[in-house]
Amino acid sequence: MNRAQRADDTANPGKVTVLVGNPNVGKSVLFKNLTDRYVTVSNFPGTTVEIVEARASFDGHEVAVIDTPGINDLSQRSDDARVTRELLAKHDDATIIQVADARNLRRALLLTLQLADLKRPTVLVLNMADELEERGGQIDCARLSEILGVPVVMTVAPRNQGTRQLIEALPRAQPPSGSWLAAEPVNEYVGNRARLGQVNDILAETYSMSQPESPSLKVRLGFWAMHPVKGVGFLAVALLAVFWIVGLFGAGTLVDLLETGVFRQQVAPIAIQAVDAVLPFPHTHETESIPLGVSVPLSPVHELGIVTAQREVIVPAYQEPADISLSLRQQVWRFLHDLLVGEFGTITMALSYALAIVLPIVTTFFLVFSILEDSGYFSRMAIMVNRVFRIMGLNGKAVLPMILGLGCDTMATMTTRILETRKERIITTMLLALAIPCSAQLGVLLALMAALSPAGAIFWIGLLVAVIFAVGWLTSRLFPGQTSEFILEVPPMRRPHVKNVVAKTYARLNWYLKEVIPIFVIGTAILFLLERLGFLTVIARVGEPLVTGWLGLPAEITNAFLVGFMRRDFGAVYILDAAIGADPVLSPHQILVAMVTITLFMPCFANFLMIAKEQGVRVAWRMAGFIFPFAFLVGGAVNHLGEWLNT
Amino acid sequence: MAEYLNCPLCGFEFEKLDTLCAHGCPLGGSCNFVRCPSCQYEFLEHQRKVSWLHRLFGREEAQKPRLPEGIVPLRDLKRGEQARVICLGGDNGSRHNTLAVFGLVPEAEITLVQQLPACVVQVGETELAVDPAIAREILVERLA
Ligand SMILES: Nc1nc2c(ncn2[C@@H]2O[C@H](COP(=O)(O)OP(=O)(O)OP(=O)(O)O)[C@@H](O)[C@H]2O)c(=O)[nH]1
Ligand SMILES: [Mg+2]
Ligand SMILES: [Zn+2]
Repeated sequence: MNRAQRADDTANPGKVTVLVGNPNVGKSVLFKNLTDRYVTVSNFPGTTVEIVEARASFDGHEVAVIDTPGINDLSQRSDDARVTRELLAKHDDATIIQVADARNLRRALLLTLQLADLKRPTVLVLNMADELEERGGQIDCARLSEILGVPVVMTVAPRNQGTRQLIEALPRAQPPSGSWLAAEPVNEYVGNRARLGQVNDILAETYSMSQPESPSLKVRLGFWAMHPVKGVGFLAVALLAVFWIVGLFGAGTLVDLLETGVFRQQVAPIAIQAVDAVLPFPHTHETESIPLGVSVPLSPVHELGIVTAQREVIVPAYQEPADISLSLRQQVWRFLHDLLVGEFGTITMALSYALAIVLPIVTTFFLVFSILEDSGYFSRMAIMVNRVFRIMGLNGKAVLPMILGLGCDTMATMTTRILETRKERIITTMLLALAIPCSAQLGVLLALMAALSPAGAIFWIGLLVAVIFAVGWLTSRLFPGQTSEFILEVPPMRRPHVKNVVAKTYARLNWYLKEVIPIFVIGTAILFLLERLGFLTVIARVGEPLVTGWLGLPAEITNAFLVGFMRRDFGAVYILDAAIGADPVLSPHQILVAMVTITLFMPCFANFLMIAKEQGVRVAWRMAGFIFPFAFLVGGAVNHLGEWLNT
Repeated sequence: MAEYLNCPLCGFEFEKLDTLCAHGCPLGGSCNFVRCPSCQYEFLEHQRKVSWLHRLFGREEAQKPRLPEGIVPLRDLKRGEQARVICLGGDNGSRHNTLAVFGLVPEAEITLVQQLPACVVQVGETELAVDPAIAREILVERLA
């Protein structure tokens, strides 16, 4: 970089630009418009929890743009604002773009007056101009700009309206004029009340809002969704829809199609043939006739069949001629062959499992989750469950991480940051790690449930709910600290944008697959080695008293628990195999015991790491130290209870 | 007979007389607050302890302070009623501030959206849900 350019850089006040504003006002959409970098956008206050930075070029000037978590109050004590305060302190030459919800100008201006104390060049963006108009409001931008002494720009971020004007306004950014708060207030509350008084004066000159007419359908839906009676119906319909799409369509139709139709009928045979060609040693694979039936669920008991096909294909199992001894080289080939396409093979097991079973289920789940999230339903759900969550020392806000946990517990553990106190974060993290099955496991469990009686399935669900409440209650008693008060802003219901739903689902999937595939591949490889070296039988013998004695399961199932330490859904696949595979070894009672035990395992190693990262290593070890013995304890209790009932 | 109170913060013992509600709110004598003349700490005269069992199954206690005509706890408003906030109640400064940044301050005009399962009010263009326990402490004046 030459000197002239550097001089230019320092002269340019827009070197660093920070987007600041109330929660859920569209900062992240605007960030995407300015930098082309996607960060999660959803209709839920508190979506962005971390600072995100990206470079952009405005009229030839390189600028770093920073997206921040939404804040309502910049004052010293509030915890949510800490990140933003520290950021602004670090970049003391930053230009501030304050993003406001135009309808909610009062709250935005409160923040403007707080930001004014920092004396930074500022631009005020009035976003959601479309909703302001729809609601019949008007803002006199020129007058507002005159009073505050900063440029004011109207935008509609999702339609990319006003972005151009915003970029043009940036060089005109100025510190807000005047001193708004003369005397140092006694405390934040007193200060903010004084500011609100000044805000009201400004609003009187610039802002008008018509009386609301009869509510639109969107508004009415919003009311119903949190109504004490209709809200419960709403919740039931939402849950049913999720079950339909994820449980029946994702875990049924799509998994059939991908697992049987694509993997076992097409990919596996080709992979086996390819490996055989590259790594030859004398053997012949068995063939099997694999039936495929794909149908779309119309109701939980009716289906519309769309494809049925039977194919005769080769499978991983093979026969070796008895009379030939292999050369060393051929033995090495055989070893690699088995590692890739054997029964514990990377391709035949790990990839087919990750891509054909987990992927469709997780995709459908994240899709549905994103739609619900963008509609604004989750805040209303938090209101509905607030009362019962109190039992566990939580308030309704914890519902979001809990539901996200049904998609991926690790991701949800990170989302616990939206909870206010450490106690709430610990309890939620604990429940996620213990008893919320993630969608990968849920898919396998749904398949397992088919092998159970409906009563068994209901018992399993009931037991999980009971465990969640009991452990939540216990943790809330044992862990010192406070549950925060339930004060939650309810965002308006909005129609989800297809583009955003797709982008968000894609981003989550990307994250998930990057995490899951390596673990599956490494996990299968380790398992394969253990089996080859004869360790599996040793481990099975060591685990015998626990598994056969206490849980009453066959010794082979020890393997399932062994891999379950790595990923519990992976362990569940083993159980599934033992339950409904080629030669089933489990009775329904044993399936239930194994299912209960594996469900209560810690989700996966990545989850452990995430807990360690978010809550500290000590907490992570303590949770693991509780969860695994507890899982065996409950599993054994179910076993003995079942046996006692049977006799 | 004079009533004596102990300040929970500094332990100062003082007479109850004129120490009630120093907010200057229009409740006057019916406000539940006491302010210690020594350290200026404000506290509720009786602090209730509510167990979780109570919170879950217990009937909501009929706590009826002597309120002036027309002033009721937020909890008593009906769906769709409009009111003006008089006093945020409680002795919790951080809660006051949290409510304030949403625009819920004395003098603010609100519309009640619903009471159950949580109390939801509309303040300006913000819909705010608060725990019923908080709604019981906020005092409002009904608007015709
Ligand atoms: N109608 C309308 N909706 C908008 C506009 N801008 C953003 N939204 C929607 O508002 C919601 C919130 O947008 P985000 O960008 O996630 O908001 P944020 O300010 O980053 O929120 P936090 O990260 O939670 O602080 C999303 O559902 C957007 O689609 C707008 O101009 N008009
Ligand atoms: Mg954001
Ligand atoms: Zn082969």
